[in-house]
Amino acid sequence: MKLLVCIKQVPDMESRFKPNSAGTWYSDSDLAWRMNEYDEYAVEQAVRLREQLGDSSELTVLSIGPDRVVESIKKSLAMGCDRGVHIQDPAIHEKDPWQVAGIIAAYAKEQGFGLIFTGMQSQDRGSAQVGVTVAELLQYACATTLVGFAFDNGVVTAKRELEGGIKGVVKLPIPALVTCQLGLNVPRYPTLPNIMKAKKKEITPIAVADLLKEAPLVQTTSFHPPTKKGAGIVLEGDVNGLVEKVIGIIKEKTAVLR
Amino acid sequence: MDFELSQDHKVLQAAVRDFVEKEIKPIAMKIDEDHAIPDDLVGKMAEMGFMGSYFPEEYGGAGLDVLSYAIVVEEVSKACGSSGVLISAHTSLANNPIYAFGTEEQKKKWLPDLNTGEKIGCFLLTEPNAGSDAGGTATMYKREGDEFVINGGKIFITNGGYLGTGILFASYDRSLKHKGISAFIVDLASPGVTILKNEKKMGIRGSYTTAFAFDDLRVPVENLLGQEGKGFNIAMETLNGGRIGIASQGLGIAEGAFERALAYSKERKQFGQSICEFQAIQFKLADMYSRIETSKLMIYKAAWLKDNKKNYTMESAMCKMLASEAATYVTKEAMQIFGGYGYICDYEIERMYRDAKITEIYEGTNEVQRVVISKMLLS
Repeated sequence: MKLLVCIKQVPDMESRFKPNSAGTWYSDSDLAWRMNEYDEYAVEQAVRLREQLGDSSELTVLSIGPDRVVESIKKSLAMGCDRGVHIQDPAIHEKDPWQVAGIIAAYAKEQGFGLIFTGMQSQDRGSAQVGVTVAELLQYACATTLVGFAFDNGVVTAKRELEGGIKGVVKLPIPALVTCQLGLNVPRYPTLPNIMKAKKKEITPIAVADLLKEAPLVQTTSFHPPTKKGAGIVLEGDVNGLVEKVIGIIKEKTAVLR
Repeated sequence: MDFELSQDHKVLQAAVRDFVEKEIKPIAMKIDEDHAIPDDLVGKMAEMGFMGSYFPEEYGGAGLDVLSYAIVVEEVSKACGSSGVLISAHTSLANNPIYAFGTEEQKKKWLPDLNTGEKIGCFLLTEPNAGSDAGGTATMYKREGDEFVINGGKIFITNGGYLGTGILFASYDRSLKHKGISAFIVDLASPGVTILKNEKKMGIRGSYTTAFAFDDLRVPVENLLGQEGKGFNIAMETLNGGRIGIASQGLGIAEGAFERALAYSKERKQFGQSICEFQAIQFKLADMYSRIETSKLMIYKAAWLKDNKKNYTMESAMCKMLASEAATYVTKEAMQIFGGYGYICDYEIERMYRDAKITEIYEGTNEVQRVVISKMLLS
């Protein structure tokens, strides 16, 4: 069976983000980059399935973006993916989830993947739309927010996280696409010998123009930090006086006390 | 000319960082307090391939390069100088001489266990009256049939307490000084090997520093490394490479202290502002970072030279000298930025301050590095 895992490279979330000159996204200078955390769980689960199925299966890792995303592809290869696909697009950040999903689906359509893994969402844009839209475009069964995964006899058994910590179990026939939640597994470290082996694995470059057919449906018009709140009020005095003051402020400024 | 790490090196750096952050940083303080690196961590580092980073896969190594090795030691040492020197002494001083000077049989016999961390390696040169002046070696050997019989003692042996595989230097005729020295590959779990003590130290407390006595230690003749009488050359060539490892350890300690001091200078408020807004602190940060970057450039250059089979003697001496002095300087200034908190054991700066000093001393004191550099300038 052919397997696919789709990954995105995102900035380290502890970076200091500044808007780009157009004010429509963050500026990508002076950022440290890493694999989207949700996607690490997707890669780990895909590699475990690859190990379960043995050499009758092949696992491809795909990422879209500028040259730097090859680092995340190489990490996935060092974790155990067999081959990489780099869809070259220096302006991926300007595309909306519909276009991104369209690119992936256009690539995957001819490949006949039995199972596709993605992260539940990206840490930067966070739309959580790409995985499900790919499934829809390919007419695959789809389950989201996986916290458990098993595969047996052509059937995926997925444990999903529901609201309030409740879990649900769903079964899907293949072909299927699943999106992975944090905590699904413990992603392995790429070891030095596996980093060496990954150097010999093939990474196929594909120009994004060969796959992009769709116009955007959603346009990001503005990217800005939240407006700064005014400074807080510091109250001083003895406790009884402070309580009176706090009650006065709550009555004046909120609807909590009347 | 390109000062960027390759994509493969960046992948490696990120992987090692991730490992260090999760597996080493949380226990670095305990390693110092317990004077021991847990066996479990040694095993995990071995699984990561840290113990044979740049040796070919056919000998159990990871097959990467010396620059990768330098990055591993640097990243590990950011969190724990003891773990950094474990890897450095093992790789540079045990695996490397066997790889560089061993016969094919010796490489096949000894390297797989070392490269996979099954055995921990050490380098037995220093004696009470011989270190950088190796000609003073008083440990003696003589041949008896198919064996060499070794008597004497060694001190200050990093990784010695593991009783793994050692590269042991001994003389057959003291009057020949350094020309009488030969090198042997020794299984230290052998009769005739006694640990006299594992030293207590100011810093790198998790690392073994062992004193040995050898009493009729019998070594098969096939364990002679290189030719008889050529041990001194093996020792000097080995130490050249070792200096890249120790420089990387010093660099890592300096970077670890700098990262913490930089963050603290932004958090700590005095007189109504973060202390990083005072020029006195800003100048410290500028000086610290400049020394770190200078050391890093020289280390990466020395590694690049070694990877490209060019002469790197002078650069390895320079990078060891620069990085170790950056380590003592940066940790001292980091402690000053932390003020009283830096002196308290609950913060990590005092440990880094203690760990830094040894990097100016071992694998050739910095005075010896200056001799090496100036000799090459004047020869």
